[in-house]
Amino acid sequence: MHNNPQETERLISDPVPGITAEPHDDNLRYFKVSIEGPEQSPYEKGIFQLELYLPDDYPMEAPKVRFLTKIYHPNIDRLGRICLDILKTNWSPALQIRTVLLSVQALLASPNPNDPLANDVAEDWIKNEEGAKNTAREWTLLYAKKE
Amino acid sequence: MDQIISDASDFHDTQIPNISQLDALLRCHICKDFLKVPVLTPCGHTFCSICIREYINRQSKCPLCLNELRESMLRSEFLVNEIVQSFQSVRTKLLEVVKMPTISGSEDKSLIELGSDLESESGENIQSSKELESEEGDDDIQIVGTNQTKSTLRHNLRKTVSGPRINKSISSIESMFTKRQTNVRMAQCPICEDFYPIKTLERVHLDECLTLQSLGKKPVKRKASSTDTGLASKMTKAPSTSQKRMKSLTPPKDDNISHLERYVTSVVDTEHQRLPKLDFTAMSLSQIKQKLSALKLSTVGSKQDMIARYNHFELLWNSNFVDSMDPVSESELRRQLTSWEASNNSNNVNTNNNIGRLMMQTKKADTKTVEYNKLLKNFKNDKFSRTEWATLFNKEFKQLIKQARRNLEKDRQKLNDENDHEHGIEGLTEPSIENSSLFNKNETS
Repeated sequence: MHNNPQETERLISDPVPGITAEPHDDNLRYFKVSIEGPEQSPYEKGIFQLELYLPDDYPMEAPKVRFLTKIYHPNIDRLGRICLDILKTNWSPALQIRTVLLSVQALLASPNPNDPLANDVAEDWIKNEEGAKNTAREWTLLYAKKE
Repeated sequence: MDQIISDASDFHDTQIPNISQLDALLRCHICKDFLKVPVLTPCGHTFCSICIREYINRQSKCPLCLNELRESMLRSEFLVNEIVQSFQSVRTKLLEVVKMPTISGSEDKSLIELGSDLESESGENIQSSKELESEEGDDDIQIVGTNQTKSTLRHNLRKTVSGPRINKSISSIESMFTKRQTNVRMAQCPICEDFYPIKTLERVHLDECLTLQSLGKKPVKRKASSTDTGLASKMTKAPSTSQKRMKSLTPPKDDNISHLERYVTSVVDTEHQRLPKLDFTAMSLSQIKQKLSALKLSTVGSKQDMIARYNHFELLWNSNFVDSMDPVSESELRRQLTSWEASNNSNNVNTNNNIGRLMMQTKKADTKTVEYNKLLKNFKNDKFSRTEWATLFNKEFKQLIKQARRNLEKDRQKLNDENDHEHGIEGLTEPSIENSSLFNKNETS
């Protein structure tokens, strides 16, 4: 499918604030992504690195997205895998790289501990939300600091 | 794809940034390119036929609203198809024009430019201005006349309602049509004292001016350059007359297709039946092969390859014969299928192909090709027989070894020679000549 360059072009010409995505030199299906932590979330002032890969069947299949930066979040596990419906069962080919990344950013703003991927974090989040948020803030400072 | 990638955002920094919305609306939400053979879903969304059919094979829902969607619900949209194509045909020029910095700083100017360029693409309008010049003795003249008065009346109404602002923009739109007629004789209007082409003056403008006066409005002064031919005559020349005439007078060229005519005359292909979906789980290999050969498709490859081949052909077929308003031939579909297979399996076939091409150069015998293909099928799995491969190409391998030995010896000799004469370049070129001559030898043997 030829849509990949089409979208890549758009990402560069029409960027989303707080999000950058750059295709890799050697592999145009592989993107280096960085997302700014949303304001008024525990991830504020952090910059999170992600990798995004477009499978051969994209856009019929969802892109594969993974956090590279360590993050304390109930829907993101230790390996950086993300629990987000549109990346799995609710994927639609009408979605794009930019909308996916926006959803990821929104997930940072509103964690959903009731549909957890990192069980221990989710438990912590439900039992003691303030404490969990503080941990998330600490982690952001530790691992996702702006340079 | 070596063509430049276009995007709706191209229009963001132009004089009419809103065109980007039009651009974006004419694109498929799946492939993000301009709609190709657009089809409409019952939920009111439009996609490329191929894109949505491919997706429905995986999920029976609309990508935009997630409502239930089946293939039988899709309806082709000929109108959208022509809209997209006509937009695409003017897009580059349009972009060029709206990107130009304003010369006099007036907005009207850009409108004029934009308009005249848009028109020049569609052919129909060139016609309309031509007609204006050669109208005498035309059968249409009466209809034209009455229509013109009607439309001038409409003009005047609009003018009286919304005053000079609209008036000005109308005049600018009108003037863009007159731009083409550079050597039309001009005359002064006795009422508003402006200059107009004589024909316009007689037919349209005088009426207009008089009505305005009778309504007690002062006709609005216009620049001498902005004249009043266009819109009125353009309106009368709408579809029917100009369409028919265009066909008889100017044979439509490729870049001058009348999208309107194509739309009006579009019909659904009834000759070809839709290709059914097959339930492959219940089919044996030979049954699948039968199905494929009935459609004159290749039956090579694994069961999975064949299923994928059928499914993609079904996609191409139905999109082409069910949805498209100008379907291509079956053989063209087969060609598309082959190129799809080539690009889709590029990763695992490419290496084989290269070897294949190389080997093909060295042999011609048909039996050998067959045997070679048989072996090649298993090239990547355990069943591949090295010994058979070796015996098949025994001669070639021996020759290659011989050649390598010979070259080695030659090189050695050359090296010795070089030490004596210092002839560097010859030493490099010799072996390659040797190579090609050997290939020729093989081909003949």
